[in-house]
Amino acid sequence: MRAALYRSCVRARRRAQQLTDSDWRCDVVIYLPIAELSVNMFIIFGMGGAVGFLSGLFGVGGGFLLTPLLIFSGIPPVVSVATVATQIAASSSSAALSYWRRRMIDMKLAVVLMIAGAFGTLLGVVVFNALRQLGQLDLIVSVSYVTFLGLIGGLMLSESVRSIINARRGRPAPLRRPGQHSWIHGLPFKMRFKRSKLYVSAIPVVVLGIAIGFLGALLGIGGGFILVPALIYLLRVPTNVVIGTSLIQIVATMSVATMLHAVSSRSVDIVLAVILMVGGVIGAQFGARVGQNIRGDHLRALLALLVLAVGARFLVGLVTPPAELYSLTVLTGGGL
Amino acid sequence: MTRPAIFLAFLCLLTGRAGAEQLTISLSTGQIMVDSTFTGDTVTLFGVIERDAATISRATGYQIVVVLRGPPETVVARRKDRIALVWVNSASETIVEAPSFYALNTSGELSDVSTDPLLARYQIGFDNIQFTYENRAVANDPAAAEFRRAFVRLKEKEGLYTERPASVSFIGATDNVFQSAMWIPANAPDGRYAVEVFLFSGNVLLAREEGELNITKVGLEQVMYAAANDHALLYGLACVGLALLTGWLGGVIFRRD
Repeated sequence: MRAALYRSCVRARRRAQQLTDSDWRCDVVIYLPIAELSVNMFIIFGMGGAVGFLSGLFGVGGGFLLTPLLIFSGIPPVVSVATVATQIAASSSSAALSYWRRRMIDMKLAVVLMIAGAFGTLLGVVVFNALRQLGQLDLIVSVSYVTFLGLIGGLMLSESVRSIINARRGRPAPLRRPGQHSWIHGLPFKMRFKRSKLYVSAIPVVVLGIAIGFLGALLGIGGGFILVPALIYLLRVPTNVVIGTSLIQIVATMSVATMLHAVSSRSVDIVLAVILMVGGVIGAQFGARVGQNIRGDHLRALLALLVLAVGARFLVGLVTPPAELYSLTVLTGGGL
Repeated sequence: MTRPAIFLAFLCLLTGRAGAEQLTISLSTGQIMVDSTFTGDTVTLFGVIERDAATISRATGYQIVVVLRGPPETVVARRKDRIALVWVNSASETIVEAPSFYALNTSGELSDVSTDPLLARYQIGFDNIQFTYENRAVANDPAAAEFRRAFVRLKEKEGLYTERPASVSFIGATDNVFQSAMWIPANAPDGRYAVEVFLFSGNVLLAREEGELNITKVGLEQVMYAAANDHALLYGLACVGLALLTGWLGGVIFRRD
């Protein structure tokens, strides 16, 4: 194995000689068949691993980090969004499995979310392809990232800072009273979710599922960082089943998104996906271990800062004059 | 035209009929295989200028032009403009069937090779490539010039459009055997590439020869690319299956409880 790796490395280096001048490292360059470019395998693997670590640490899918990272590193946005969907399906299913073993999933709620999510995903892919044709995909993706990351990051930061301050002053965190109801609980078409001890209208559940599926397909994110707070704060789903249930929903919508992207834009790069998946699954394990030793509110504050930083990066990209005003999109033939 | 020039042109025409130079070309490879370790490759063109007894000796030296063109592609070039604080793609131009790859190797400066009209006729040089636009009646419409310039510039930046003067050289001390190396970068689209070799002397085209180069994905890359395009549904299912399998494996290997 090592010998084969070394041989391919030597071959790759010999070929790359014309391009790189001071190349003393052993870069394992790998060609991505769908993205149609060569990348350094270790860099992509490292990205998958780093994002996997963070996703394990914070209990999120990490799509909102991975998709921008891939785009910033030169992978076409179309391929990035579609391939990250595959990667999230892998990392979420790994995590979902452990929640399944511990019976921390509300299956009925997950199924309703899943069905709604599939519709949302279909809608998202249709919009994705339409925007691509119009040349406005990058803009909408950037604006959506700024909006959602800013909103969610801001909310999370203020919530976690408040809870940190409360803990410092020795005050107990305000407990959620189970009887607390909002206008959402007054909606019709009520359904009973036994595992969550909930009796709520199906409308907000379906709307949430559709919205997450839609955003997931459009932005290349799992949507866990939106779904989890929404389930907790809007529907009052108990925290012990929230993550497992949202993971099941994410696995389903990301699988559907992978299928739809593969069929419609043909931009799922299986080689890229495999490298990311392996890196992500390994990284997530280490992240989860480290995460157990950090306090929850500190963890949420860190995640909020990370989310805000990515949002800010997109905002800067939107408002600063671009170095290159022109861009090319291949419609047919050539390197499609 | 001055009288000696006309005479010279006539003479060339005459000799062209009588015993013109013949070009014979060969590429170091007719097929480039793109596999998982592909990071670009060099293709060398070898050529011989064949003369016979009837060929007169030229007062001016030979100038050789090698053009390698990639398969045609239709591309949208877009320009960003500032709309309410945010930079947005606004104006665009669709360029139809432009060469996806264009490498020009010449023995000397392009201005020394031939006259502009002749270079334009054979589309030699970035400025002479014929661009047709969707929704525009004439080729090379000046109204779309900014997009044309942007297209060429971006292609140059990607290494897909190159103009290299003094990159065709005669081998050893010969004046009729030449070679020229062309770099095929990893991002070169695959398909059929056409190579054209022109022989000029004293601004006049003496001979022209064509060849072909194929860039194809091979092995697993070809299988995956073909699967993604021809069996999209199965490919998608395979990706999902692989994702779930990897996730399950990860969960099993790193099981903690």
